[in-house]
Amino acid sequence: MNLEFGRVALVVLFGILPIIGIAMGLRAPSLRSRIPIFIGIFAGFIPIVALYVPKAFLSGETGMSSRLDLWLIILAAFALLLGIVNVVQNSSRKIGRREKGWPYAVVLLTGLAVTGSFGIYGAVTGHGIGFMPDGSSTPFKWVEDRFFQPLQSTIFSLLAFFMASASFRAFRARNAEASILLVAAGLVMMGRVPLLEFLAAPIPPLHAAAASASQFLGKLTEWIMDTPNGAAQSGIIIGAALGAASMAIRVILGIERGYLGLGKGE
Amino acid sequence: MELGVVGTWIAALLTLACLSFLYKDNPFFRFAESLFAGVSLGYYVGITLNQTLMPNLWEPMRQNFGQNWDLLVPGLLGVILYMRYLPKFGWVSRYALAIYVTYYIGVDFTRRLHGEVLPQLGRAILPLSHFDSRTLVSAIFMLGVGSVLIYFFFSREQGPVTKRIARAGIWFLMISFGAAFGFTVMGRVALLIGRLNFLILQWIYPMLGIS
Amino acid sequence: MPGFIDRMLTLDRRWIFLFVLVSVATPIIYPIGLPVTTTGSTRAAFEYIEALKPGDVVWISFDYGPSSAPENDPMAEAIMRQCFTKKVRVLVSVFYPLGGLGLANSAVAKVTAEFPDLKYGEDYVNLGYKDGAAAVMHRLGDDISGPFPTDVNGRPIGEIPMMRGIHDIRQVKLVFTAATGIIGEWWITQVHSQFGTPIIIGPTAVSAPKYYAYLNAGQLLGMLGGMKGAAEYEKLLAGAHPELAKFYKTTRAFTATKGMDGQTVIHTVILAFIVLGNYAFFRARAAKKRGAA
Repeated sequence: MNLEFGRVALVVLFGILPIIGIAMGLRAPSLRSRIPIFIGIFAGFIPIVALYVPKAFLSGETGMSSRLDLWLIILAAFALLLGIVNVVQNSSRKIGRREKGWPYAVVLLTGLAVTGSFGIYGAVTGHGIGFMPDGSSTPFKWVEDRFFQPLQSTIFSLLAFFMASASFRAFRARNAEASILLVAAGLVMMGRVPLLEFLAAPIPPLHAAAASASQFLGKLTEWIMDTPNGAAQSGIIIGAALGAASMAIRVILGIERGYLGLGKGE
Repeated sequence: MELGVVGTWIAALLTLACLSFLYKDNPFFRFAESLFAGVSLGYYVGITLNQTLMPNLWEPMRQNFGQNWDLLVPGLLGVILYMRYLPKFGWVSRYALAIYVTYYIGVDFTRRLHGEVLPQLGRAILPLSHFDSRTLVSAIFMLGVGSVLIYFFFSREQGPVTKRIARAGIWFLMISFGAAFGFTVMGRVALLIGRLNFLILQWIYPMLGIS
Repeated sequence: MPGFIDRMLTLDRRWIFLFVLVSVATPIIYPIGLPVTTTGSTRAAFEYIEALKPGDVVWISFDYGPSSAPENDPMAEAIMRQCFTKKVRVLVSVFYPLGGLGLANSAVAKVTAEFPDLKYGEDYVNLGYKDGAAAVMHRLGDDISGPFPTDVNGRPIGEIPMMRGIHDIRQVKLVFTAATGIIGEWWITQVHSQFGTPIIIGPTAVSAPKYYAYLNAGQLLGMLGGMKGAAEYEKLLAGAHPELAKFYKTTRAFTATKGMDGQTVIHTVILAFIVLGNYAFFRARAAKKRGAA
């Protein structure tokens, strides 16, 4: 049995301590929030401290931080599926009570059951969810290519229509700021595509002028993206990052507890 | 990718069902929407099981438990996460949730500082050791970053000087948002181009025998 | 004219939708073949990969789904073709949970079929999808086999010949991430900042503006912004490697270059919408002022 310090320490911190905490929480409800927050401090600080403390037990390949990375990959997989339980509960309730739109809940659960079953089949048989050795599609990939991809692509493509409609009905230069926005948008839209060449296509004498103007607009667009846009985005990134970093410390130290469903003072 | 005749028809009909929403909400769109939601969730099941839980959790423990015994802990923590749906024992899931959230926030903390704040501040600093054409560009860049940061500083009421600087920040932001709109148009339309390309060239043309 | 514009402003939006549909469909039915000009950020990306040597390893991450496939698929395919032409070895991964794996599998199958001499496990490896992208990236500096103990089909990493010489991310010469959303940022702000790995990003057009900040700060080698970036790369690729031009000339296959025709038409349409809408707005405002006076 591999009993490296890193692994044992992680098992004690995130395995044994929670078990003790759960046992204590069964008797003392006030500890049901305090002990998870206490354990969370370690989970938050290990990756931070590991970056600055080059000790093998912490930041080496067999250290606590490296092993914790592998653990949290597994935990992320469980977390991704968490919402499915909620959806199944709500859909089942809708079907059971014959609420408005219940047949669509049947469709949803059928899609979930069929696709999920093909995924489980792929895992159990070892065929996976991609291509078989002979190049044919597994059942999961068959559903993915013919149902999932067309549906996702088309639903997102509807945005193009609404955006065009909004451009016509809502995009107005009401004040100086909106005018700056409109002008920048117009210049970038003209600079990213050969719009002038397209408009000049039926008029051969204008081709050369259109090509030159298009090149100029392209360079202007690049400058707009590099300098004013780059500066604004840089400011946004710095501000957001500082805010996120300070929020991170608050969450790790247990000052912010909203993510556990707790309010202030709980 | 070749979908075959049946596959192409399924994909085409589902595409048309989704596009029918543009006319008005209708049962075909609602069917397609619900099917999309269900298939998406089933998709999550398939990929997490095949690509993470089997190779990273189950197989290492099955093949060499002595080396990987500690993976029992994240496995159990993952199961505990689902206890939030039990009314009486929902509080037990806080352990898994606390570890999950604080770990990723801890990783994010160093990422933000080393990957965002420091490099971006480095770019914004204007070297004055020599002057050339790039100095003007850098000056504009520095003005932009500084004015945007001042605009977003809400902890104190802005004075007459900072108000003017913040106004310049708004102008930089408006240029940025306008440019972003231009890019967004391209991004959204690209999806439509892809779908219409499929419908016309891979469904309608073969149906009509057009090569 | 004024009455026409007023009628246009109150038009049922479904006519606008139909107009947009026709505008985008027409260049697909009647291709125009408009020229594509290249930009500095795309050229920088292209030249970096052109300078790589045979045997170098490039990591291509499919961090997008079907919702941005028309933009990102052409980029990823073009980069793969360039790598295989230059005998650069390719590692493929997926971090986008909703549909990225299927697109990666399809793209790898499509492009590798164009190079019959390629051997899986020696010239390219598909590591597949992994949850917890941030945790995976955090670990890549230590080793690749920890987060990816097997490839996409479950074959142990240790048994794959190509992976024997690649212990961690530092043996990778470049990461190209075709990304939608935040995963692309993580490659830059975590992998590049911690391990110094060069990154080229192919974001969707929606998220491309923010990556100019990273480009300016030297955190990115190059960028392929949206469908335009993909079209630029296709042009550069066909120019430098004429033997690859045949993959971009087929009538049915979708390429970014063909898509730019539709982009140009719709940009013209939307700009016309904006101009018309604002003309009517200013006319109405002027009439209101005159009425008030």
